[in-house]
This record gives sequence, structure tokens and C-alpha cells, in this order.
Amino acid sequence: MSGLVREIRFLASDRAALLWLGIALLVACVSVVLGLREIATQRVVLNELIEIDSAEREVLDTLYQDWGDVAYYTFHLTWDSPSDFAFAALGQRDTSPWKHQIRALALEGQIYETDAENPDFALIGRFDFAFAANLLAPLLLILLLHDLRSAERTAGRYELLSATAASQGSPWFARAALRVGALTICLIGPLWAGGLLGGAGASTLVPASLVVILHIAFWWGVCALVDRYGWSSPVNLTALVGVWLAFAVIVPAAIKISVESIVPLPDGGEILLTQREAVNDAWDLPKAATMEPFIERHPEWADYTEVSQPFEWKWYYAFQQVGDQTVEPLSQAYRDGRIRRDRLAGSLAWLSPPALAERAMQALADTNVAATLTYEQRVRAFHKALREYYYPRLFRGEPVSSVSIEQRPQFRGKES
Amino acid sequence: MRELLRARDLTKTFRSNTALNGLNLSVNEKEIVCLLGANGAGKTTTINLFLGFLEPTSGAAIVDGTEVTADLKRARSKLGYVPEQVSLYPTLTGLENLDYFVRLGGGHRDESHLRGLLDQVGLDQGAADQKVGAYSKGMRQKIGLAIALAKGARALLLDEPLSGLDPSAANEFCRLLRQLADNGAAVLMATHDLFRARELADRIGIMKSGTLVEVLSPESLDQAALEQIYLNHMHDDETIGEAQ
Repeated sequence: MSGLVREIRFLASDRAALLWLGIALLVACVSVVLGLREIATQRVVLNELIEIDSAEREVLDTLYQDWGDVAYYTFHLTWDSPSDFAFAALGQRDTSPWKHQIRALALEGQIYETDAENPDFALIGRFDFAFAANLLAPLLLILLLHDLRSAERTAGRYELLSATAASQGSPWFARAALRVGALTICLIGPLWAGGLLGGAGASTLVPASLVVILHIAFWWGVCALVDRYGWSSPVNLTALVGVWLAFAVIVPAAIKISVESIVPLPDGGEILLTQREAVNDAWDLPKAATMEPFIERHPEWADYTEVSQPFEWKWYYAFQQVGDQTVEPLSQAYRDGRIRRDRLAGSLAWLSPPALAERAMQALADTNVAATLTYEQRVRAFHKALREYYYPRLFRGEPVSSVSIEQRPQFRGKES
Repeated sequence: MRELLRARDLTKTFRSNTALNGLNLSVNEKEIVCLLGANGAGKTTTINLFLGFLEPTSGAAIVDGTEVTADLKRARSKLGYVPEQVSLYPTLTGLENLDYFVRLGGGHRDESHLRGLLDQVGLDQGAADQKVGAYSKGMRQKIGLAIALAKGARALLLDEPLSGLDPSAANEFCRLLRQLADNGAAVLMATHDLFRARELADRIGIMKSGTLVEVLSPESLDQAALEQIYLNHMHDDETIGEAQ
């Protein structure tokens, strides 16, 4: 009988170990299934929204004879298509999978309309594969490894094993390696199954598996280190759970508090309110108070700034833009701050391997802060294109035509 | 005669309790030395110090010229150990258990050799293929001895190996030990059994409260001497640390 087969038989006769491995497999499967369902739901909703958006546009485009009305009543769907690996690390996917009310009005408020908090450093906690692999799996590994020696003591074999073994570690290394391997398979198996079902390629699944393996290897090292002290099972377990608690809960919480205190940020709601106030105030201000700052940004329309009527669309859209200009420093500070927070959190995450592994998976899944900011920038670029499309028509007073409407920019989803 | 086991002023204290006090003892090849004494006398402590399970407070345990604390791996490679209870893996057969422990010791023996060893220790072939869960204590002790033999150990440490064996199994076990000693092994055995010690040992060390009080030859032990030893030395000591 080979050593491996014998160790497998030992493992098969250890009911507690089988229970922990079963739980690991179950948790990994459930997390993958829930992740796939979440992403599938987002895709279904997204497809429905795209269809509704297109149908609504067809109707609206025939209703209005004025570019001001067209721009005002036409909502544009923008979206952030999930990557094929997003199921494994949902990250900030649910912060803004789409924004379906983008209009040619002031933009920043539209972007941060639902942004009640700063979602800059997602703490571990969402139940997805990343949570299962990075937070729960170390705990299961601890349960699998904490009593390798003491179980032999209880069975009365420890002295004979120690006296017989050629090296101190040989009986335990093979046993621990098998358990670590089994746990890793219980995690990576469902990940690959989900990945292949979800369309993720090896270029994502291989590095993600590597993250899982390295993270598990770290915890194996921790277990081996604690094991060297030769404590009893309960003391081993207490020490290891303490280390887990520190790395998985306390350190990430401390990182979050530190990051927020080191890099203060305005929140999204503040941007929204400031911009709304700027836009609302414009109604009561002289027209020149709007047009002057507008022309500074768009000198090409300097000859078209005369507003003779109490209400003209070009003035309306100009003060929408000035509203954006007013919050520009705030919005830029918010973006810069989020980037700084994210970078700082990334550096400090080295103090917490679970948080580091979580961030690595979110980066692979394109569900991290960087992905969210990229999506926001894509919305800004699209909105800029909309303004560039509408402004000539609004300022020159061109008539609405179907030919012209067909030239209107369309938001394109990113290629996943 | 080559000295395979030597205790030199070997002392072990647990906090304020002296479990072993300046033991000086040697066991040569082809020799069986029994350590007799009550619980807490220091017998198991002596064996644990030779095995490196305990660090001596002072003095040295030396195996075939190697001081245990200086090179534990080398010292252990020369030692065979049979505990009071040879606990094996109940889901494996006797042969599989032997194979496992042999591999653990870094060796690799083919099946016929392992079966030969089991035969040598008196375990019949039918039993070798049975799961150990169904074994009697005597059969497990034989496997323990086979493990020590397979290792090629020249020095054997046995801690109460006869405890709980029926007379026939104990006789068989003693016969095997004698055979091993005659073939060159040095055997140090801790036991409570005065009569077996007299039959088996070349020398008998009497221990009390961590001290080797006497070393006797079996020939000097007539009935009266045995009674005297029993009355003087075989009652439980209060010394703690023996069980550690």
C-alpha cells in the first residue's frame, strides 16, 4: 500500500475531518452557485433594461420637436457588464451595475445619486466564493490541523510514532499535506466548475486558484508554527482561532478605520446636494451668471450666449453644466480620495492575508474600486459625448430630424 | 562488550520534584537490564530521557556513543521502543501497520521481509493480515517488537511491556527478548514484575524515588531477597513526574 493511500485511509476514518471537508465543499458550492445566480440575475436585468431603453427611445424620439425636450426627456442606460469571473468575488458589483437615468443634465449628481456611503474599501463579509475561500476556509483548515498530534496522543500512538519516525516532522507533514490538499480541492473544484459554467477562462481561473493555494499555504504555515509549541488541542485551537480573528476581522477593521481617518473624503451625497443647490440657485440668478462660467469652458459658443426669453433650453443646459463645474473640485477630490484610500488599503492589506486575497480576487473579477471608478469615467465620457452632440443643436437652434437623432451617441458596454 | 546505553549522572526534576536523581547505569550488547520499582520510582522517566521525550536537567543519556540531547535523530535511529500499550492503527492490518512504521522510520522493506519479521516475533501469517483492531494486547506487543526489529535497532527500550499480558504471551515475549539480546541487542526494560525480571534479566536495577538504590544479579535473588525487595521498594512512591 502506498503512503498516500494509507494516509487517505486514515483521513477517511476521521469523521471530524470528513465533516470539515464536507462543510468546505458545501460552502464553496453554495457560494459559487449564489455568485453565479447573482451575476445571471444582473445580466438578465441588464438585458431587459437595454431592451426597454431601446424601445423607450424609439417612442421618445418621435414625440419632441425641440432639442431641449429631446435632451431632457431622453434617459440613457449605462451599464457595467460583469466579467465572467465576477461570480467568485462580487466585490462592488452591486454598488452600481448600471445607471439607467443618465441624461444630458448635470452629471455628477446622477453618478452619486445612490451613493450614500463611501464604498471604497469593502470589508470581508459578502457571501461569495472570495468570502468562503478567504475567511471561512482558514477556519476550516484550523479545525482540520489543530489536533493532528494530540489526536495521536489520545490514541496512544504519539510516543511510538515519535520514537520511530526518521525525522520529527515526517508523520505530520504527510498527514497535514493531505488535509490541506483535500481542502484546496474542495475549494478549487467548485470554483473551476463555476468558472467554466460562467465562461471564465483559464487565464482568470489559474491565478485565482493560485491565490487560494497561497492563502491556504499561509494558514498551513501558521498552524505548523503553533503546532511547534506542543500545546494541547484546546490550547492550539484557541491560539489559532485567535490568530484567525486577528487577521480576518480585527486587522481589516483597524485598516478600514485607519484608512478613513488618514484619507478623509466628501461623500457622494455631499456632491449631489452641492450640485443641486448650484443648479437650483441658477434659476434665480441673472443669465450672465450662468453663461460667463459656461463660456469659459466652451468659448466656441460665445456668440450664442444671448438669452432673450425668460426660459431658453441653451441657458438651462448651460446651468446644468455650470452645476457640474461647481462640484468639479469636490468630485475630483472624491475620486482622488477613493484612489488614495484604495492604494493605502492595498498596502495595509499585506497585514491581513484574508483581506489581501480578497482584494486579489476582486481585481481578477474586475469588481474592485478601480473597476467602479473606470465605469464612472466611462459614464463621464459618454455624458461628455452627449453634450458635444446636443450643444451645437441647442445653441444653433437646429430643427429635430430623425437623421440627426440617429447620430446621437450610444453607450456601449465594455467587452467582458 | 560494547556499551550501547549509558546514563551518566542523569537527573530530571519537575519543578521541586526530582523524578530521577543522578542515575549512572550502562547496558551492554547482549545484555538485558530490568529496572524494578514502584510507580514514581523513575523507570519511565529514564526511558523517556533516552528517547529524547524529556530533556535532562543535568547529566546525559548516551546511545551507542551519541548523546541524546546533542543528536536526537542519530540517537533515535539506534533505538527501538516498545511502550506499555502498543497502540496501532486499528483500520490497518498488522502487516500494514508494520509497513507504515518502517516507512516512517525512513526504511523500506519488501513484504516478504516484513512477514519474516512478524514470523520472527511469533505472529502467525493469518494474524498478520487481520486488522489490528481485533488484536489482543500480546499480539500488538509483538508488532511493537517487530517495528523495533525492522528498524535494525541495537538498543531496545521497553516500558512495562509485559503488563497485562497473559502468562503464555509474557513467556513468549520474554523468550523473544532473550533471543534478541543473544543476537547482540542491549535491552533496558522497566517492569513491576519481580519474578519475570529475575528470569529474564542479566542485571536488575532497583529504583526508589528517582534513585537507583541497588543493582543485583538474578542469581542473588532467592525467595527471601525477593520478599525483601517487594517490601522495601515496590510500594507506590509519591514522587510525581513519573507519568510525564
